[in-house]
Amino acid sequence: MRDARGVNRPEAHSDRMGISAGVWVILGLALVSSGWILAHPRGAPSGMQLWTYARTHTLNYAPIVADWNRRQADPDRRIELSLIGPGPLRHRLMSGFMSRTPTADLIEIERSMAGEFFAGPVEAVGFLDLTDRIRAAGIDEAINAPSFSPWTSRGRIFGLPHDVHPVLLGYRADIVEDAGIDVSRIETWADFARVLGPLIRDLDGDGRPDRYLLNYWYTNKDTTEVLLLQAGGGYFDEAGHVIVDSPVNARVLATLVTWVCGPGRIALDAPEFTASGNQLRLQGNVVCSLMPDWLCGVWRNDLPGLAGKIKIMPLPAWEPGGRRVSVWGGTMLGIARDSPHIETAWEFAQELYLSADMAESLYRTAGIVSPVRRLWSLPCYDEPQPYFCRQAPGRTYLAHAPYVPRRTSSPFNEMAKEHLQEALIELRGYALDHGVNTEAELLPEAQRLLARAAQNVRRTVARNVFHREDQP
Amino acid sequence: MNAATGRADMRTGWSPYAFVAPFVLVFLVFTAYPTLQSIALSVQQTYGPQASRYVGLQNFVGLAHDPLFWKALTNTAVFAAGSIFIQLPCSLGLALLLNKPQVRGRAFFRLVFFSPSLVGMIFVAVIFSLIFEKRTGLLNVLLHRAFGFDPEFPWLEDYVMPALIIAALWMYVGFNMVYFLAALQNVSPDLVDASRVDGAGVWHRFRHVTIPAIRPVGTFIVLLSLVGSFQLFELPYLLLGEGGGPNNRGLTLVMYLYQTGFETGDLGYASAIGWVIAMLLGAAAIMQRAVARGGER
Repeated sequence: MRDARGVNRPEAHSDRMGISAGVWVILGLALVSSGWILAHPRGAPSGMQLWTYARTHTLNYAPIVADWNRRQADPDRRIELSLIGPGPLRHRLMSGFMSRTPTADLIEIERSMAGEFFAGPVEAVGFLDLTDRIRAAGIDEAINAPSFSPWTSRGRIFGLPHDVHPVLLGYRADIVEDAGIDVSRIETWADFARVLGPLIRDLDGDGRPDRYLLNYWYTNKDTTEVLLLQAGGGYFDEAGHVIVDSPVNARVLATLVTWVCGPGRIALDAPEFTASGNQLRLQGNVVCSLMPDWLCGVWRNDLPGLAGKIKIMPLPAWEPGGRRVSVWGGTMLGIARDSPHIETAWEFAQELYLSADMAESLYRTAGIVSPVRRLWSLPCYDEPQPYFCRQAPGRTYLAHAPYVPRRTSSPFNEMAKEHLQEALIELRGYALDHGVNTEAELLPEAQRLLARAAQNVRRTVARNVFHREDQP
Repeated sequence: MNAATGRADMRTGWSPYAFVAPFVLVFLVFTAYPTLQSIALSVQQTYGPQASRYVGLQNFVGLAHDPLFWKALTNTAVFAAGSIFIQLPCSLGLALLLNKPQVRGRAFFRLVFFSPSLVGMIFVAVIFSLIFEKRTGLLNVLLHRAFGFDPEFPWLEDYVMPALIIAALWMYVGFNMVYFLAALQNVSPDLVDASRVDGAGVWHRFRHVTIPAIRPVGTFIVLLSLVGSFQLFELPYLLLGEGGGPNNRGLTLVMYLYQTGFETGDLGYASAIGWVIAMLLGAAAIMQRAVARGGER
């Protein structure tokens, strides 16, 4: 045999076999590694799995899970707690439920994920229908009623509510009180703009205002939803009909546009969970924020510089005598329908979610108030907190908890939210293009844009054969 | 033919098949079967394998009336146009500049311009989200200090596609420059000298000598950019979030496919979107080949 330079060389043994030595090495490695894997099978995890997506939840549940495990003689009743990021959790659950492959026995999900799991036929929902168990145990009476709404689909309840998440208004007491402003004069959003208006300032002398009254921006779907729900608006009514184009929604959208542009602008974009947003809050560029209970815990951890400068007050209402609270976010604990440990999982779920220890610990670490009404008398909720100028925020939130708006669990919520937000963005564009600055002038265009949004939502809903089949 | 030679021939005869077998197997399982399955899915509405209903062409009809699909298609087309008409000329310009022997430190500059493509997409998205931030973002702060520019200029609200095109330009201009640099090595120096002697100016030399020489590589890069643009997902997803930014101004076709298939679980509708993307890319490739052949003639 000749090599490339035409020099004779002896024929290699592997060439005579028809396969090169490298192939034999690769084949050998493949066989050895496959054999090793087969000889060391990973056993199925013993006991039950609990998946959650929030670090604060994990920290609070760990002692309760440890205590439960200590009391269990049967290893099958023990629980392994896992923290999984919201994105991966959603994808693992979705693929697990759809393919009927194992997930966890107990799973916590966030409200924005819920609709996806309720999108198919009701019998294909991956969570166990807990309706009868909840009623039999009297839990439907024990828990604040609006907290069930995000986890109820077509009349069936698929999870235990973890929270209420009332939204009130957090304000910079140092700035407001230095200016001699009495917030008790504020009842409505119109009062809010009028009474706090003098606080809008150019802080750096460049001729542009740098300080605004409210952390709100028209691109933020969550805060828009908070304000819509407070006003009595939303996307679907309790019967599942599209109400995107309701007069309430149109009015709210028209008002929100006047908040973000034109001479009546009162809002600034200082997004939560971002360094830039936190910097604006610390610098005092924004006076007030929509403040769910969970945000109290976040601020205490992330913004220690605001300690002793923040107070909580009810949200200004949309009209005199109107609702002074809204709702933002939420978590449920569900049981996988295919879990082999349904009874034990249900037992543990009740112990975890109805526990006074867990409620107290969750409040102290994360600021979250319990949805269990008998626990509202816990003394921790009355303790004044230095961060909030010695107010007791827990008691303030609980006072408004029964009045939080109900929400629907429609699988089309996120899509409807998207279409409504599009309408808001286009309405702002219209206001800027036409120099229109008042709610009354914006209202007809708001109605037109919302009618189009509602038509798009209805078209998508109508395309879903599963929901058509489930309609009576 | 003795018995030993016969066995060797048999081994030689089978060995090519043995070598291609792993690929064929993987191709059949992970490409051919899913492709065929996606055709079947595109005429169904599904919620996982347990719940599916045959809906005929309803998914495709739905797409035709779906404003989000049209928005995603428009955004993707705008990005593709930005890639082809802004990014590639910039890459070619850089390649021409750094191909000149009289430019000092050419190797260093080539590395500098190429290096952004070595940065992971996640870091690019983080860097540009900080750059484009309102009030505190580097770009607005610099422009405000230098020219009194509005510090609240909404890059990632009202100018999402320009922001994405700028970020992609930073990332890929050097990458495409390397292709053009390689192509420029095909330009015959003799031909350039001859045209110069014949009195051809810079533009005519570029038009009639350089362009024909780099045309095959240029055609390949255009196709690559087009396919890459239609597959755009990571950058807007990381920079703007799952929804594609305010008013879906950064929503691309693949993002919409992902949202539909993996967030709402409607694999049928997602398959229909996938087939529309495939048909669009096929049509674009045919058109591009036709244009390239016309140019060659």
